[in-house]
Amino acid sequence: MTLFVAQDLVKRFGGLLATDHVSLAVEHGEVHALIGPNGAGKSTLVNLISGLLPADGGRIVLDGIDLTAMSAHERVRHGLSRCFQITSVFRGDSVLDNLLLAVQAHAGSSFRCFGRRSGEAALGERALELAHKVGLEGMLDREAGTLPHGVQRKLDVALALAARPKLLLLDEPMAGMGPEDSQQMVELIARLRSDAAILLIEHDMDAVFQLADRISVLDYGKVLASGDTTYIREHPEVQAVYLGTEEAR
Amino acid sequence: MDPIFIFEQLLNGVGYGLMLFLLAAGLTLVFGIMDTMNLAHGSLYMAGAYIAARVHEAGGSFVGAVLVAVAATVLVAFLLELLIVRKLYARDHLAQVIATFGVILIADDAVKAVWGPSPLMATTPAALAGPVQLLPELPYPAYRLVLLAVGLLVAVGLYVLVNHTRVGMLVRAGASNRPMAEFMGVRVGRVFSFVFALGAALAALAGALMGPISAVQIGMGEAILIPALVVIVIGGIGSVRGAFVAALLVGLVDTAGRAFLPPLLRSVLPPALAADLGPAFAGIAMYVLMAAVLILKPAGLFPARA
Amino acid sequence: MSDGVMSRTLPASAAARWLPWALLGLLALLPVVGAEMGLDYYVGFVRRMLIVMIAATGLNFILGYGGMAALGHAGFIGVGAYTVVALVDAGASSAWAAWGAAVLVSGAFAALIGAVTLRTRGVYFLMITLAFAQMLYYLAVSLSAYGGDDGYGLYSPLELGFGRTTGDAAVFFWVVLALAALVFAFASRAAVSRFGHALMGIRDNETRMEAMGYPVYRLKLVAFTGAGALAGLAGALLASHNNFVSPATMHWTESATLLVMVVLGGLGRRWGAVLGVAVWLALSEVLKLYTEYWHWPLGLMLIAVVFVAPRGLAGLFERRKA
Repeated sequence: MTLFVAQDLVKRFGGLLATDHVSLAVEHGEVHALIGPNGAGKSTLVNLISGLLPADGGRIVLDGIDLTAMSAHERVRHGLSRCFQITSVFRGDSVLDNLLLAVQAHAGSSFRCFGRRSGEAALGERALELAHKVGLEGMLDREAGTLPHGVQRKLDVALALAARPKLLLLDEPMAGMGPEDSQQMVELIARLRSDAAILLIEHDMDAVFQLADRISVLDYGKVLASGDTTYIREHPEVQAVYLGTEEAR
Repeated sequence: MDPIFIFEQLLNGVGYGLMLFLLAAGLTLVFGIMDTMNLAHGSLYMAGAYIAARVHEAGGSFVGAVLVAVAATVLVAFLLELLIVRKLYARDHLAQVIATFGVILIADDAVKAVWGPSPLMATTPAALAGPVQLLPELPYPAYRLVLLAVGLLVAVGLYVLVNHTRVGMLVRAGASNRPMAEFMGVRVGRVFSFVFALGAALAALAGALMGPISAVQIGMGEAILIPALVVIVIGGIGSVRGAFVAALLVGLVDTAGRAFLPPLLRSVLPPALAADLGPAFAGIAMYVLMAAVLILKPAGLFPARA
Repeated sequence: MSDGVMSRTLPASAAARWLPWALLGLLALLPVVGAEMGLDYYVGFVRRMLIVMIAATGLNFILGYGGMAALGHAGFIGVGAYTVVALVDAGASSAWAAWGAAVLVSGAFAALIGAVTLRTRGVYFLMITLAFAQMLYYLAVSLSAYGGDDGYGLYSPLELGFGRTTGDAAVFFWVVLALAALVFAFASRAAVSRFGHALMGIRDNETRMEAMGYPVYRLKLVAFTGAGALAGLAGALLASHNNFVSPATMHWTESATLLVMVVLGGLGRRWGAVLGVAVWLALSEVLKLYTEYWHWPLGLMLIAVVFVAPRGLAGLFERRKA
């Protein structure tokens, strides 16, 4: 059974049709890349899927459960977690506190207001596990805002992983990275695919072709083409519209 | 209710609305362009009222008194901007609220020290003291007519200034996208100072004109500040056009609420209950208007930033 | 808030942790010492201070930890006070019943108002909370059964049990002190609880919190309701303290002053609200003795705090993180 289906998603901003009846499917264990020139509507789509923007039409189903009417935080609880294109961590907190906060959301109620959180060993263990997974175990005490960009992006991914997602949305995880950091991120994503299916929005074509099982191309808010890497590489319209116009835009 | 009474009250509402606009225009520009919440704006209004009242009383002409009040207030505002407000532009709203609340406390004591604790009686200029026969059955105070005229004139002037001059273009550029304006080489610091002084001049003008028809007293700045803030929130922060529309709305709703609601309630409710609820509903009207607008349009009627 | 103001600091030293509690313990002696030395006035003054501290602690929780800049907190103080008035007017005489009801009613008002206002952010939130407080103010003015504009006098003290009443200055002082200590203990525990951490996360990055699976709106609403209930408790105690309630309690400048005291003391600092109230009220009281121009030094102090000590007075006692 298909893990994730987005069907006929529509979003209008005033007169602009930012998302024009987009349909997407992600299979279990798959890395599905979403590419498209700047302004194609990728970020809008991620916000619609994660629920941070209300959609004007369409349906979203994850693992047989209809998420369409759910708010963003409810979608996370049903296994749909995301990262942000602009790194979104708690800059004034330590790496450990960042992870603890992410872990806390998925282990019991956050309305408890009397016990000290520091007394909960299980949260700490799970936070360490996450740190280990993304390779941050050496800098737990560092203030997140002072870390190098590449490290902050790893932390961003770790925050999303705390939900134990079935589907992980990665919004341009390599944005603003040098080649070395990018390669590390590619390796990290490759490791993560055993934990969750991944919808990868990315500009870095090398990374996309290394990681993706399937690729969908978005242009002017529409899915232009969808298929495996060879199909997309050789798709004439994709070559013309996406690869050809990349510089022009 | 007879139509003459309604018409008269509507005129009063428009007059109050225009005065609110004079205050709100400066407030919304300072807020929109500098992202700065200046609670001391009401203190500038108070300064204008006090100075105009005293100069007029001391034998000056009314027009002269208003001009002196505006000039002196602009001078005070210049110092205020230089010493305090300028250092707040980069701070968060809460810091701005706290510091400018501090300015209010100082300003109120300063006024008390200079002019004493009791309210001043600002007199209407003699030439405008009488009524004008607007309609056969509607005598209307000449002074209030002048208020209407001045308010409209300033509104038109401000519209021309903001929309059809180079300075206005810079102001609008700063309000809608400050980083871009800086990037284009606009000297934002100067635009800030100009806007702050302009806002102060309008606040002082409003204070000077309102003096004869309201109480010139300590705390008048805080009392008018809240409706002015309501106006800029309804209009959309940073939008002069929004402030104009919202000021007229608030002026009309507030005046109409006070004039029409109590008699309306008396006609449908038991007298005791009506007497209780009338003033309450009238006081609340403006806030209900704001809450309704914000629920329908969370960024106000005319959001300055898309 | 900017990162600088809100950045985390090291845990306080043991002495700093116990000092405030030790001071509160010492305060318990005040009615005894005060009676000996004829300082009855100051017993009353400190009692009022403690009551305001309860309200400020709630405001610090939503503003300092939760980032919700509400400019209508005095409205909930008023709801609490008028609940006591309504019950006394109807013949109630138990302090605990009246105060308990005040907490419930103001909490309910806060839940309703929060449900509407928490959809907005920043200045719009500030203004819409102000609007609701103004509506409560005019509602109080219209309650002619309770004196309208002139207010309502509570002529007989409320019963505290064991034959004691709020008219017994010392006993009432101890009751207020105990309630305040309970509130402070609860607030400082809540700050390091799951709820407190979640609230600070919302203050720092609301979108991320939502995207990590937190029910942001509900968390904020619960905090807002709790703060409103605490304000209601303070209002109820204030009614008994003054034996008088009037709409002036709910005027917007009262909300502003409460906000000012919290920021002065130190936003999101454990003892910030308490310190802010103590300094502000003590200074006002002392200045009033010496001059009729007692506002401007306070104004100057506010400006100085904004520029010199942006983390508030409590921030001055903290060790900076390396």
